[in-house]
Formats: sequence, C-alpha cells, structure tokens
Amino acid sequence: MRGAFKTLLYLAAAAALAYPLTPFRDVYVLHVLVLIMVYMVLAMGLNILPGFCGLLDLGFVGFYGIGAYTAGLLTIHYNMSFWLIVPLAAVNGAFFGVMLGVPTLRLVGDYFAIVTFGFSELVVLFLTNEIWLTRGPLGVPGIAPVSIDATWLATLLGVDSRWRYAFRGEVPYFYLGLLMVILVYCGMRRLEDSRLGRAWLAIREDPMAAASCGVDLLAYKVIAFAVSAGIGAMAGAFFARWTLFISPDMFKFWESFLVLCMVVLGGLGNINGALVGAVILIALGELLRVALPRLGLPTETRFLAYGLIMVLIMRFRPGGIFTQVAETTMQSGLIKELRARLAARRTA
Amino acid sequence: MDAILKVEGVSKRFGGLLALGDVSFAVERGAIMGLIGPNGAGKTTMFNCVAGIYKPTEGRILFAADDAQRDVAGRKPERMTALGVARTFQNIRLFASLTVLDNVRIGRHCRTAANFFGAVLRTRSQRAEERRIVDDAMECLDFVGLGEAALSQASSLSYGDQRRLEIARALATQPRLLLLDEPAAGMNPRETEALVDLIHAILARGVTVVLIEHDMKLVMRICKHLVVLDHGVKIADGTPQEVRANPDVIEAYLGKGAAHA
Repeated sequence: MRGAFKTLLYLAAAAALAYPLTPFRDVYVLHVLVLIMVYMVLAMGLNILPGFCGLLDLGFVGFYGIGAYTAGLLTIHYNMSFWLIVPLAAVNGAFFGVMLGVPTLRLVGDYFAIVTFGFSELVVLFLTNEIWLTRGPLGVPGIAPVSIDATWLATLLGVDSRWRYAFRGEVPYFYLGLLMVILVYCGMRRLEDSRLGRAWLAIREDPMAAASCGVDLLAYKVIAFAVSAGIGAMAGAFFARWTLFISPDMFKFWESFLVLCMVVLGGLGNINGALVGAVILIALGELLRVALPRLGLPTETRFLAYGLIMVLIMRFRPGGIFTQVAETTMQSGLIKELRARLAARRTA
Repeated sequence: MDAILKVEGVSKRFGGLLALGDVSFAVERGAIMGLIGPNGAGKTTMFNCVAGIYKPTEGRILFAADDAQRDVAGRKPERMTALGVARTFQNIRLFASLTVLDNVRIGRHCRTAANFFGAVLRTRSQRAEERRIVDDAMECLDFVGLGEAALSQASSLSYGDQRRLEIARALATQPRLLLLDEPAAGMNPRETEALVDLIHAILARGVTVVLIEHDMKLVMRICKHLVVLDHGVKIADGTPQEVRANPDVIEAYLGKGAAHA
C-alpha cells in the first residue's frame, strides 16, 4: 500500500516536471504553479518561527516585501544579475530580521506577535511613503526578467558571441522556482536534523528546560528569525524578477495571514506540511477567484474561506495535516543505524 | 571540607515576599546533600538561584567546578549549564513531542559546536559531531536504563521513566553538580529503589548531587548532609541524626508544641 502510494507520488512528480514541456501546457496553469512554488518557499521560511520555535510571527510578509524591493531596486538602478541579487536580498532580509529580533525577541507570546504585526505594517508604510526610494504607491515597474549570461564563458573559450538567455514566459520560471523550492527544502531538512534545529524545537517545547540544557534562548531565536527572514526575502527577490512589477499593496498583512494558514494547515513544524499547505490554499484561492464572482460575491470574500478552514482545523485536527514534529530527523542515516543497533540488541 | 558549592547569605525577594532570607550552606564535593523543608519553604527557589533561573536579591553563590572558585550569582541558566550545573524539574519538563533520544541529544547542546553553516553544508566535522552526539546520548540513556526506548516519544514513557529521562538529559550536559528536584515524587517503591541505585551510580561518576525530596526515609538513608529550610530561612544544617533531633525541624514539620510532646 505504502509502496504503491510512493510510486504514484513519483509518477505525479514526473508528470508535473514534464508538464511545462508538453503541448497541453497552459500559461494560466503554469502561472499558478509558479505562484504555488513561491508560497512553498514562504511557508517553509515561516515554518521556522511558529513551527520550530513556537513563536507566532504575524509580520512575515514584511521580509518578503524587503526582499522584493531589494531585488526590484537593484535591478532597476544597477541592472544587477539575478544570481547576485538573490543572496543580497536574503542577507538584507536576514539583517532586518536581526534588527527586529534582537530588541523584540525578549517578548513572549502575544506581545511578540503584536510587534511583528506592527513591523509588517511599518514596511508597507515605508514602501508607500518613501517615494524617493520606492516610488510609493505607483510601485516599481519595468523590472528586467531573470537572465543567464554566459558571455564570460564564450570569451574564455575564444568564441566571439553573446551567450545570453533572458527568461521569457512561464516555463523557465517554473524550473527556476522548482530549483529554489528544492534547495530550500533540502536546507530546511538539514537544519531540522541538526544541533541548531534541535535547539529550536527545544525552545518550542519548553524554553526553561531548553535553557537548562545550555541553549541561549535569545541567540537561537534571533538566528531563527534571521534564517526565516532571509528565506522570505529570497522568495521576494524571485517574485520581483518574475512578476516584473512590485507595489506596496502586494505586501499587506493578508499575505502574512495566508502563509501562516498554510503552515498551520500543513502541520506546525512539519516541512512537508508547509508544502502541502501552500498547494491547497493557493489552489483554493484560484478556485474561489473563479467561483466567487459567479455567486455575486467580491473576490476578497475568499479570506472568509481561509478563516473557516482555520476554525475547522483548530476544531478537528489542531496538529494540522501532518502532525509529526521533527519528521525528517527520524529518516536520517544515523537514526536508521541506531534502530538497527537497537533491534540487534533486542534479539541478542 | 572541599566544597563544590558555597551559598553565602542568599536572599530572594519577589516584591514584598521574602522567598529566601539570608541562607548559607556548603555542599561537599562528591557527596549527596539533601535540601528539605515543608511546602513553600523556598527549596525550589534555592535551586532556581543556583541554576541561574533567578538572580538572588542578595548574597553570593560560589561554585568551584574544579579548583577555581567563582561567584556565579545571577549568571544565566545556559552559562551555569556550561559551567557544570545541571538540574531536573519538580514538575517534569521534557520536550514532550520529541523522541527520548532527541531529549538527551539536546542535553549535549552545550558541549557541541556545530552552527548554521555546518548544518546546511553538512561539513565533515559536523557529521562526525552528530555521530558523537548520538553515541554520547545513547551512553546516558543506557546509564539510566532507557536505551531500549531511545526512539519512542518522550511523552509515551511512564512517569518514573520520564523522571529518569530528565536525569539522563541532565547528565548529557556533563555536570559536576546535579540538582534533583523531587526525583522520587510519584514513583512506586520499586522505582524508588532503582532511583537510589541510580543516584549512587551518578555519584560514582564523580558528580556531586543535591536533592530536594519529601520522602524522609529516602533522604535519611542516602544523604550524609541535610539542610532544612522553613519559610525561606535555614533552620537546621547537619547530619540526618542531628537534623532529626532538632526541635525547630520537628516544629516546622509537625507544628508548635510537637517538639515538647
């Protein structure tokens, strides 16, 4: 049963991989798939805070916005390469994460959530009002798409031509987004199954006991905040170079709430859950976008559906779809080895 | 006396409440000391001061992991753990949804070093360290007799086993001084017997033990030295025989007039 399910999953993954190259591809579907991948990265990034550390962060979208504007402005003014911009945006997001985290992570529970909420509002106000930098509510249009420039390689090989490929349409973004999701996913798995990840989970489970084990609570919360913010900013950088236009109202509070819903729906602290949560809620959002106007309702009412989902999850399955915490840890080679050792000991 | 811990004139105030008033005592290296007293006497507050959770309002706490003695009053809990003070909690505080092994692996935190980059890049030294962490954690689990349960969820253990797991987690920090807060609470007689053996085995590892305990029979049996607190004040300090005969102690436990009856 389990084996059959796995085979089915692999087949579905292979079909999804090949889809953009088939003649059945549809621009709208591809667009939604890329959007799902952006939210997958966001959900994995946010998962670190409420999922691993037990910190309610309502201002995650602030870092997403910082990343998007960092990428957008660097592209507009300096025409910088995407491959350079992504790490810069991530570092910039992490920097703001530390700036916000150091003074506020001493707060606990609801107080911390309120501060993060205020931060994301602050980011939107800054983007709206500091017109000299961000052009305000007009947004930043005309951002160049991602391109791969290998002219240096051509020069190196002595070929006199420009080896430059600029992304057009959704297909290359699909594969670029996939690459980003896979990299972040692998990184998250490695973090979860490490000294750092265990310290985070200890903070979530019991801060006092964690401190008694030698975990410096403030330091590890700040690291979590920085990593989470960095991933959020990275997704923002991708978003800016994909939609080619950004404006402050793309980074309103609702986005934070949506990403939080994905993490809670998937299962707090479960990386696979974050991915599944992103798929479900983005797909649902697109369905509602079509269905609601037919019912004579404005599309904004879709937030009612998200709220309803949250209420139902809290009532019937408070742990989310995947309830297992530290799931990837149990799949690591060391644990498998230990399991075999324990089994051998039992039979001896 | 070679003291691993000297508490000198420690007071702790919470607003108008005096939880500890000018308490002084010393803990001999390599011995078991008992800290006893009626409910609300300030025993756990004393532990929290030594473990760094509370900063004493007044007084000095001198800790000598090896030779050098230093005043550690007001240091943070993670610093105290690094210096060699570990503790268990009165109301068990395990990482409930993690495995037994992970609980103890977190105990290795302060003796290991891998950081963010090591974790993401899986460097050779990080992988070697992870392997050592598993081995050290398993050693601690086998020591308390929970090796077989390493991969079960911590919250699935029986009450007595959860207390043993807390001890294993504390031992994983390689302490010189172990503070046990009511380790026998909720244990049946057989589990208590096993606990006595375990405490002696811990002592044999060169770890000094201080325990808070309400089970007087247990305390009188395994401690060479007792300190009695009542209403935040030390009322007796000495061998079990001396303490048992002390009229203040009898009064604190049984009420006024009991000593004369």
